[in-house]
Amino acid sequence: MSASKNTQSTGMLPRLLSPAIVLLGAAGTVLWLGATMSGGETFYFWGIWLIAAAGALYLWRYRMLNGPAEFKDHLHRAGRTMAVPIMGVTLAIIIGGVIMLLTGYDPFEAYGAMFFGGLVRNWHISVLNAAPLIFTALSVAFAFKAGLFNIGAEGQYYLGAMAATWLSLRIAMLALVTIPLVFVFAGLLGAIWMIIPAFLKVRTGAHEVITTMMLAHTARYLSPIFIRANGGDPADSTHPYVTDKILESSILPRLQEFLPNANYRVHTGILIAIVVALLIHYILYHTSWGFEIRAVGENKDAARAQGISVGKNIFRALLIAGFLAGLAGFNQVNGLDHRLYENLQAGYGWNGISVALLAAGNPIGVVFTGLLWGMLDAGGQFMARTTSTPSAIVEIVKGTILFLVVARYIYTAIGNIRRRRQRERAAREQIAEDARQEA
Amino acid sequence: MFDYDFLVNLLSAMVRNATPIAIAAMGAVVCERSGIVNIAMEGIMTVGAFTAAIVAGATGNPWIGLLAAIVFGGIFSMLHAFATVNLHLNHVVSGAVLNVLALGITAYLMIIIVGHPGTTDSIPVSLSAYRWAIPVLSSIPLVGQMLFNQTPIVYFGFIMIPLFTWFLNRTKVGLHVRAAGEHPLALETIGVSVYKMRYLGVLVSGLVGGMAGAYLSIEGNVSFTEGMTGGRGFIAMAAMISGGWHPVGAFVAALFFGLADALQVRFQVFQVLNVPEELFIVLPYVLTVVAVAGLVRRSRPPKAVGTDFMIERTQD
Amino acid sequence: MAQPILETRHIVKQFPKVLANDDINITLNKGEILCLLGENGAGKSTLMNVLYGLYKPTAGEIFIDGKTVEFSSPRDAIDRGLGMVHQHFMLVDTLTVTENIILGSEPGKGPQIDYKAAWKQVKELSDRHGLRIDPDAKIMNLSVGLQQRVEILKALYRQAKILILDEPTAVLTPQEVEEFFTVVRALRDNGVSIIIITHKLEEVKAISDRVYILRGGKVEGERTTADVSKEDLANLMVGRSVVLSVEKKDHPVKPNPVFQIEDLRVTDDRHIPVVDGLTLDVHPGEIVGIAGVDGNGQSELAEAIMGLRPVASGVLNHEGDDIKNLTTKERIHRKVSYVPSDRHRYGLVLPFTVAENIAIGYHDRAPNASAHGWRLEYGAMASRAEQLITDFDIRTPGPLAPAGNLSGGNQQKVILARELTREPSLLVVNQPTRGLDVGAIEYIHSQILAMRDQDVGVLLISLELEEIFGLADRILVMYEGRIVKEFKTGETDEREVGLYMTGGKKEQSA
Repeated sequence: MSASKNTQSTGMLPRLLSPAIVLLGAAGTVLWLGATMSGGETFYFWGIWLIAAAGALYLWRYRMLNGPAEFKDHLHRAGRTMAVPIMGVTLAIIIGGVIMLLTGYDPFEAYGAMFFGGLVRNWHISVLNAAPLIFTALSVAFAFKAGLFNIGAEGQYYLGAMAATWLSLRIAMLALVTIPLVFVFAGLLGAIWMIIPAFLKVRTGAHEVITTMMLAHTARYLSPIFIRANGGDPADSTHPYVTDKILESSILPRLQEFLPNANYRVHTGILIAIVVALLIHYILYHTSWGFEIRAVGENKDAARAQGISVGKNIFRALLIAGFLAGLAGFNQVNGLDHRLYENLQAGYGWNGISVALLAAGNPIGVVFTGLLWGMLDAGGQFMARTTSTPSAIVEIVKGTILFLVVARYIYTAIGNIRRRRQRERAAREQIAEDARQEA
Repeated sequence: MFDYDFLVNLLSAMVRNATPIAIAAMGAVVCERSGIVNIAMEGIMTVGAFTAAIVAGATGNPWIGLLAAIVFGGIFSMLHAFATVNLHLNHVVSGAVLNVLALGITAYLMIIIVGHPGTTDSIPVSLSAYRWAIPVLSSIPLVGQMLFNQTPIVYFGFIMIPLFTWFLNRTKVGLHVRAAGEHPLALETIGVSVYKMRYLGVLVSGLVGGMAGAYLSIEGNVSFTEGMTGGRGFIAMAAMISGGWHPVGAFVAALFFGLADALQVRFQVFQVLNVPEELFIVLPYVLTVVAVAGLVRRSRPPKAVGTDFMIERTQD
Repeated sequence: MAQPILETRHIVKQFPKVLANDDINITLNKGEILCLLGENGAGKSTLMNVLYGLYKPTAGEIFIDGKTVEFSSPRDAIDRGLGMVHQHFMLVDTLTVTENIILGSEPGKGPQIDYKAAWKQVKELSDRHGLRIDPDAKIMNLSVGLQQRVEILKALYRQAKILILDEPTAVLTPQEVEEFFTVVRALRDNGVSIIIITHKLEEVKAISDRVYILRGGKVEGERTTADVSKEDLANLMVGRSVVLSVEKKDHPVKPNPVFQIEDLRVTDDRHIPVVDGLTLDVHPGEIVGIAGVDGNGQSELAEAIMGLRPVASGVLNHEGDDIKNLTTKERIHRKVSYVPSDRHRYGLVLPFTVAENIAIGYHDRAPNASAHGWRLEYGAMASRAEQLITDFDIRTPGPLAPAGNLSGGNQQKVILARELTREPSLLVVNQPTRGLDVGAIEYIHSQILAMRDQDVGVLLISLELEEIFGLADRILVMYEGRIVKEFKTGETDEREVGLYMTGGKKEQSA
């Protein structure tokens, strides 16, 4: 309590620090994400240093503002929340290694290649993989916060991609106008695709898991129709269909445009994803909308008793979730592919569920787990190419990570049972003690 | 074009396409009636399809492959039972995780065993070699070929309809399974273990899910290809829901899905109508949404499906 | 001399926080109807769950037919001839009457159920005991009375020699109660021994041969029904001296009521009326206490006042306006404050911080949020929470600790801090001290009295008569959804109120 007394007595320094942290962090992130190993090595490490510096400054500022005791507490809390995921990842990597050993592969060589490939050599592919995952995972995570399970992010993702393609084929204006327009339009279509599940959930209680999943498959199978209507020609290529290339003005700027050494494929989508993640964090934790959505997610009854409308917030949460998944489509079409493929390197919607689960629904955490997933994929491919180890081991590691992390409930369940046993034993002893004294 | 042969072929294709979906859907029916949501069907089918192809290839005997698929489907499903019943994990989360795990395990074992990703080697004899035209019956016009000139797992699927219906509606254990999904405490208070019934429900879905997978790899095909389940596990969920959580309903719904699939292939080939063939594939999903929306009357899930059940109550 | 069929010796059941049964010795004789009478929390249901093998006793023994038995699950109890009808029926809605009755003990060889035999057995059983029922009906299509009949048949089907009925009349209509009594007597005459758990004196008098009175987890007495008056029973059941030490000053009551309820009717989730023509008023500066046994519509009344449950008919007049059709939010902003009985479910969002839990409800208003209500002002929330943590002496690591980490008493203080500092004109308090320790109870009582002294109208619902007597200026007794009697606190005693609470005496107030 004493710590927060200092809140009033803030000096100039912390206030000056904030923009510095933001600038350093942003610059570091851009450098890091944009670096490639063909001449961009220095950027890569500069980026990491800048991010580290921003982190250190943040911690310093926090300590100044809240005092050493609260700072320590903060670190402890952060440590506790990170403990399970970090333990899960470590354990899964070890399990993966054991499996490799047992099946005759060299885990050190394989992991060496995987991390080198994912984090260094093919870093740009990791980044490209991460961007759509972050969007879809944010979608799943946002619904989570309202106590809902958007298992059909894939569908909203398709809708977003179709919307983005449709508009990007048609409006030729300044990029500055076009891109925001397409961005919003893709999100909106994702949200509109969510209206049916949201309405049914609120009205009839139809489970969103089923409705969103069915609509995901629907969207996926509607896409070839859309593609044929937009340049996909069954005559010269049957499957997969591809639309025409979108107009130049609607293509997301590449990082290369301001970072000459960046890989030519890396585009600003990842930066948008991070900004959106921050924005979602802001909405969830700093606005009354977010407050209400979280309250409904944690305890419907208590929220209702305090005058918060459960139906309205469920509707709101699902629509925003749809919007976010739609943005993943925008990212793929306007950033990476510049056209809509029938199969869109599909699966980002489904994988977003894993990424969101791993981050326990935390929007900032999603950025990291998204990068981790993207890294594992890119690294796995690199590993398979350079060593003889099958990339599928990465899938096993991913599945094991997930199981160990969601099974954090295992740890709490074990803890609960142990505590209950202890309490019961204590109670029995107490009774025996009472009986002895009476006798 | 719409001649007699076309129709006969269409109907046969409908049944063939429907079989894996129907079998998985009927397994899912038993599972959900016991109170456990099983979206891991996709993963179970993948495991089944893979095991069947590998074992059938190694032994040269597709029947052993089928048996192995059933066993391994069952084993894999036990992970789901353990996670949901004992660890009290959210059913959907557990299912989603297991689907990821199934993909990884099969893809990895594929490299270990087969030596390359993608597709396994062709098995020497597939189950379709055991196609059996039932004398007399198979010569009934129109439906004869569809119902009585089929391959083994298709027949198994037929047998499962009355078998599962009988099991759920006529047997003691079936009654317990239903009670576990509707009002678990009522079952526990008369002394039947809800945990056991839920394990049983999941196990049934695992066993037949394995069989459904085997159909894909060693009856409808001669090898396992990564991703060959193609979302059929999820379609089975849809069939289960549209079928009102009943084996007969699930089968009928699966037939409908199979018909849509058969039609879309034919429409693609013949280009008869000016309708995109994809609309046929989409139709079942849309109908499922309509079904859960409560517009179809009997489509009500078991009351306690997806709920956790704890035996020990600590508070009064 | 009567022959004992069931006996408990020194049964003790300790829960993590409460000692629910403390050395219980009871005896049930063959062919008698025995009542266990007690208030809520007296330990009746715990005892029955121990008998039925749902709970393991911490200590003590159970004897059946003179032999000691140990139950590790209900199955064991059933095998020993025990049958139980739970207060909340253990029936599967979608199954038929026959299926529910035979569940777990199905006739038929092998795996298959012999439905024909089952049907016959059910029919025969129902004929033998005069419990008419359609064996093919689905449970969901049956009335509550018939469902209870199925429960009884379920026990009889398992050859129960001992039948335990938990609050059997709680859900029945008066006509159904009459029928039920007939059935129970017939069962006794057929040789079944019966234990009825109840808190209704009327029921004890009407049906039982003998009665044990439980209080605070202990047996308070045993009486032969014919020899005991309702007054004595009520005394044994609720009578105890008031040990409250909170000082209550005289305070003038304002003449114009702040809140009036006229002829309010509310139904429960199954559309059965639970508040049935209730009328009351609350004046500024007084505490109106609603006394009653649990399940007589008190919580539904509170929920209806707050807009959490639809009102079937009637008027809720707050400061001159009917608030019946307003949303909960609008009522909160009209300065109606509410302390719910279940603080975990309705009072707090446990994973939220103390500061957030204090702000919730007013979270989109300054100072908790910016002027347009969009941006939350965590700084303001925290400093306000800190102020209230000091004011209400809430023991918490800080305003940013999750409410779930606090003790029960401190959680309740968080709710009080939130509700009392909103300058309410009407304060609805439902069981404010449930499950709390003495220190916390005293503090909460003093806070409620302080509200009265600031001319707030307080409606206090409590199952604890002690609390009602300690705090209320007027006592309204609620029974079966109505106010059956009004008292001035000084002009009555617990015995008299207890008699009205349990339906032992009725008098419709105007």
